[in-house]
Amino acid sequence: MIRTNQPSALPILLILLTALILTACQSSGITPEGLVYGLTLTPSGLDPHLNASSELGIPLSSVYDTLIFRDPETGEFVPGLAQRWQVSDDGCRYTFFLREDVIFHDGTPFNANAVAANLDYIVDPDHRSQKAVFMLGPYAGWSIPDPNTIVIHLTEPFSPLLDSLSQVYLGMASPLALETWGPAEYQFHQVGTGPYRFIEYIPNDHIILERNPDYAWSPSIYNSQTASVERITFRFFTDSATRAYALETGQVDVLGEIPTTEALRLSQLDEFELFTIPIPGIPFQFIFNTEHEPTDEASIREALIQALDREFIVSTVFMDTSPIAQGPLTANLLPPTASTTFPAYDPDAAIRVLTAAGWDRSSQSGDLSRGEIPFVLTVIVPPWGSAPDVAQLMAAAWQELGIDVVIKLVPGFGSLLEAQRSGDYHLIAMNDFGSDPNVITSYYASDGLYNWSGYSSPDMDQLLVEAVLSSPDGEQRLAIYREIAFLVQDEALIIPIRDYVNLVIANQRVDGLHFSSQGWFPYLIDVRLNS
Amino acid sequence: MVPISYRRSSQFLISIARRLFESLLTAWAAVTFTFLALRMSAGDPVGVLLSRGLASPADADALRIQLGLNRPLATQYVDFLSGLPGGDLGQSLYTSRPVADIILEQLPYTLALAGLALVITLVLSVFLGIGAAWWQRKPVGRMLQSVSGTAIALPVIFVGTLVLWAFRAIVTSGFLHLPPTGFQLFIPALVLGFSNSGGIAWTLQAGIQENMQAPFFLAARARGVRNGLPLLWHALKPALPPAVSLFALEASFLFTGTVVTETIFARPGLGRLLVQSILDGDFPVAQGLVVVAAFVYTVSLGLADICSYFLDPRIGREV
Repeated sequence: MIRTNQPSALPILLILLTALILTACQSSGITPEGLVYGLTLTPSGLDPHLNASSELGIPLSSVYDTLIFRDPETGEFVPGLAQRWQVSDDGCRYTFFLREDVIFHDGTPFNANAVAANLDYIVDPDHRSQKAVFMLGPYAGWSIPDPNTIVIHLTEPFSPLLDSLSQVYLGMASPLALETWGPAEYQFHQVGTGPYRFIEYIPNDHIILERNPDYAWSPSIYNSQTASVERITFRFFTDSATRAYALETGQVDVLGEIPTTEALRLSQLDEFELFTIPIPGIPFQFIFNTEHEPTDEASIREALIQALDREFIVSTVFMDTSPIAQGPLTANLLPPTASTTFPAYDPDAAIRVLTAAGWDRSSQSGDLSRGEIPFVLTVIVPPWGSAPDVAQLMAAAWQELGIDVVIKLVPGFGSLLEAQRSGDYHLIAMNDFGSDPNVITSYYASDGLYNWSGYSSPDMDQLLVEAVLSSPDGEQRLAIYREIAFLVQDEALIIPIRDYVNLVIANQRVDGLHFSSQGWFPYLIDVRLNS
Repeated sequence: MVPISYRRSSQFLISIARRLFESLLTAWAAVTFTFLALRMSAGDPVGVLLSRGLASPADADALRIQLGLNRPLATQYVDFLSGLPGGDLGQSLYTSRPVADIILEQLPYTLALAGLALVITLVLSVFLGIGAAWWQRKPVGRMLQSVSGTAIALPVIFVGTLVLWAFRAIVTSGFLHLPPTGFQLFIPALVLGFSNSGGIAWTLQAGIQENMQAPFFLAARARGVRNGLPLLWHALKPALPPAVSLFALEASFLFTGTVVTETIFARPGLGRLLVQSILDGDFPVAQGLVVVAAFVYTVSLGLADICSYFLDPRIGREV
């Protein structure tokens, strides 16, 4: 029996081997031409109307156009698929006058009905939109006075709406494609009006876009009328340690989120260029728990901030690639002013405040205590964004004062919210992204989802509501956010560390790369390839 | 008197049936354990969605009903099990797609890598194991043994990083142009194949060396079996069953996804899907992957047992 089986194994193996070699040779023959753009996360879903990943916008912001766009230089809104728009005096009706010459990649025309179909798709409760539906705020419905005009109705004013409508999550998709594929499969068959057509998506492997030759409605934020690179392949490089390697071996042309040391090393080489892209939102910061002794006292919180040389910490950990954060919002959302500046490094002042509050150092152990109670700080730290490194340096500075610092490393965002429920911490490290200052609301509103500080004040709540209800443009809205920033600084609710930057490396084949005001998303239409 | 051939085949069938029953039991235990463990540790999946801002608190109850999470655990469990024979693994919490579709999408990548890695494992381990045993008193034998020792000692992540490093030097110096397939398939397969071959090689080598001391080997020699391949076969054949079992284990490991290798080499596959689904709290997907893994382990270890039955006349025939 063995003798009869034995010879047959060898040919099978040989066939298998040959087949494998053949497939390998074949697939090496279709090495993607054009640009290879690296993504750093594998999104759980790629439908911009339903999923929330910021990574999906990197390819898709070139597949879709939005009703309006935001100029990355000035922050102003400029026409997109809507030629112009009007906001009613009560702030509850937004009227958009649409372009009439736009067609989707599948040949169907873009008009007011298409916008309505997109809105319906997003707010359909069965579709469980994870982001877009919330970006619409107090959305009430739409009306169509004529085929190229649509009115979006709100139940109350919502100043972030224009910013929402300028983002890919509210990009305009072909109603025919939405209808044909439905919420589970549309992500694989996306159809927009943008400078690139969506060709293929294989989860965890690649996304392919091809140039849309019919693109003739380029907004003013783009430098080009149509795209120049024929085909763009997106690949996933989730392991940050091997990203520089992928660039050096030519597997990818553009890749973001490069670790600081590697980014600086590559930027020294002729064949690479470093782009330092500021990402607007909530800076990387440590939030004080105001409900837990001893950080329940504002003066103690201020002393803890004064004990830190934040400049030294930021330059050590981020090697001067990141600006030092100056408040609860990044500088590109809310430029800092003298009144909102956080206390500077002054360890002597810190010691004076602590002593005045009754905290004394033991002459034997050097530990700081008030009576029998030792000064202990529990700091909760997620693994991302070099947070553990920053926490180490902060702990070292506080330990100089005799404070006992416990750093708790937690695996993810879920554990941060877990901590919020338990309340068993003094500080928690956090950052967030968003191109509208409204991103701050859930952090400081008394009932905010992300209110780690436990801070609750009628003044703050009032200001946050006013800001959302205020008129979308203008200095008045910014002034309200400045007051909010002042409150945060005055109460010493946070320790701002650094404004987030995305370190993107591109090789010398790539020309014309620039990014949207949201930070993560490239304007692929303007990218050219050098031969 | 029952004819011998009939007795052998009926014994064979009984032992196969028993093996099958044991395998099913093991697979059921694994699946049940995972079903419970994921619900205990990950907590309420709706809570996970809420915590990531992917659903609003107001929708929580509606979401729970929609996902069928408001029903008693026992009902959910029975539903889950009854779906399995038809290949129904449930739906992803994030995209509403069938879990089976999501897994099938990643499967080809895992099959390609595992297939190639297994061929390399087979070739390397047979060569290293037999070579080291046959030339055990010569320097070349000791050298082969230390190569497989190295393969056992070094973890995949180390070998992988080392190989990456070496290839970066080669590619950046311009000696070689590798297509993306090279980076994403051949190099990782080589790393995995090398790492997995060590244990099998040692098992083969130890078995052959032991058999070369055994009386039946001396008897074969005395009978005048020709030196070289025929004699080697006498020592090799009884050494195969443990090596085949080990090979089956390695194969199961490879076919259920290799997280570290997939991550280092930026490759899709079941391993990364598993990690991603656990991090995302998308527990139907994680659960589906465990079902697939239980199935793969059961089948490949079962096949290995059947192979062993034919290779070694002493196995499974005690009356």
